[in-house]
Amino acid sequence: MTTVLVGLVSVCLLQTMVIPRLAIGGIQPDLFLIFIFGLSLTAGPELATSVGFLVGLYQDTLSGAPLGLHAFTLSLLGFLVSYLSRQLRTSQVAAQFALLLFAGLVSGLTTLLLLRFFQVSRPIASSILWTVVPGAIYTATLGVGLLSVPRVRAIMRVRR
Amino acid sequence: MTRLLFRYRRTLTLSSALILSFVLMTLQVRSESSLIDLTKRIVLTSISPLLRVAAASQTAAVSLWNEYIDLRRVRRDNQLLKQEARQLRAEVSELRESTLENHRLAQLLSLRGRLGAEAVAVRVIAKDSTNWFRSILIDRGTHAGIQRHMVVVAAEGLVGRVVDVTALTARVQLITDPESAVGGLLLRSRVTGVAAGTQGGAVQIKYLPQMADVAIGDQVITSGMGGVFPKGIPLGKVVRSSRPAGALFQETEVQPLVDFSRLEEAVVLKQPPTQESGWGGKGRLP
Repeated sequence: MTTVLVGLVSVCLLQTMVIPRLAIGGIQPDLFLIFIFGLSLTAGPELATSVGFLVGLYQDTLSGAPLGLHAFTLSLLGFLVSYLSRQLRTSQVAAQFALLLFAGLVSGLTTLLLLRFFQVSRPIASSILWTVVPGAIYTATLGVGLLSVPRVRAIMRVRR
Repeated sequence: MTRLLFRYRRTLTLSSALILSFVLMTLQVRSESSLIDLTKRIVLTSISPLLRVAAASQTAAVSLWNEYIDLRRVRRDNQLLKQEARQLRAEVSELRESTLENHRLAQLLSLRGRLGAEAVAVRVIAKDSTNWFRSILIDRGTHAGIQRHMVVVAAEGLVGRVVDVTALTARVQLITDPESAVGGLLLRSRVTGVAAGTQGGAVQIKYLPQMADVAIGDQVITSGMGGVFPKGIPLGKVVRSSRPAGALFQETEVQPLVDFSRLEEAVVLKQPPTQESGWGGKGRLP
């Protein structure tokens, strides 16, 4: 639990202070998503879902999003990734990249759908093309790079 | 009941999270809710101190980094300025050297004009490497028309004579060489002698009678006797004179006018100077 809290605080600090400097064309990677993804590869669905919800709340609070938007998305993703990681062989880099890219796309699309559901106007096509897909690719690339670092992998390892 | 909850714990966890999120969103979108405010306040309060500390650390780190960069820039500028200063000092030194050289060459040109004799300006390229002889090597030889026994002068006075010549260089025996002998004349008293070099590098006037009128500071010029050195070239000044008891001649030492240790340029006279020519602005030759 301590690892999760330290990781959560670190991710909050990094995402708000460092990651904006890495933005390319206004698109920045999502460290919250990478954190939940890394945790979900080893943690059980319950923990992944709960932590996803908590992390999502922090992400919503630290952004202009409605409270609960990312909590919804990340709790869903935590559950899905944790479930899928048991079915798939996710130790390979390519599989991790594909799964993280999938998670990024799901996160983006879910966010977009929720925003539209709550009458927050967002054009679908251009949002997918210019926000969801580039964000997912950037996040997947950075995420695979970060998760391949042994130290990060050791931190993320939480017993099921 | 507990068993049922445990069995569907995953579904329950997920659905609880999703429903709670959805409710939060709904509450926020539909109307301003105190629950939303409270939740946001709790979450922000939990992270804001850390954010403040991190921001302060980041500011400090950025400031430190900028100072480091500034220091590096200052260091680089300092190195550039030092390099520039070195270059400028070298240029100033070269300019000073050029000025001095120009002055010397101008004196030589003036000398050539005054002598009215055919002369070759030469540059000293080497000095004698032993303590036994006093000679210099000049950068002109037979290709420039220089021959043995030609007289070499500087702006201040007599230097010596050419003793060895090659196509491109020539060796000049200085008047301070122990083997050198030049007919000398004391300008004031018109007494003649032989100015010979010594092993110590000085010049002595030999064969001056005991009764000859010699005084410290008397100027000595070439007498023209011997056929090698033309008459009237300044040679030096008397710096010491004594009359040893029982000796036939006075012992007189002369300080050459030319500083051979600093000699860099000279003129080789291809023909003897005319009687009408002057020396160093001192009027006609005696």
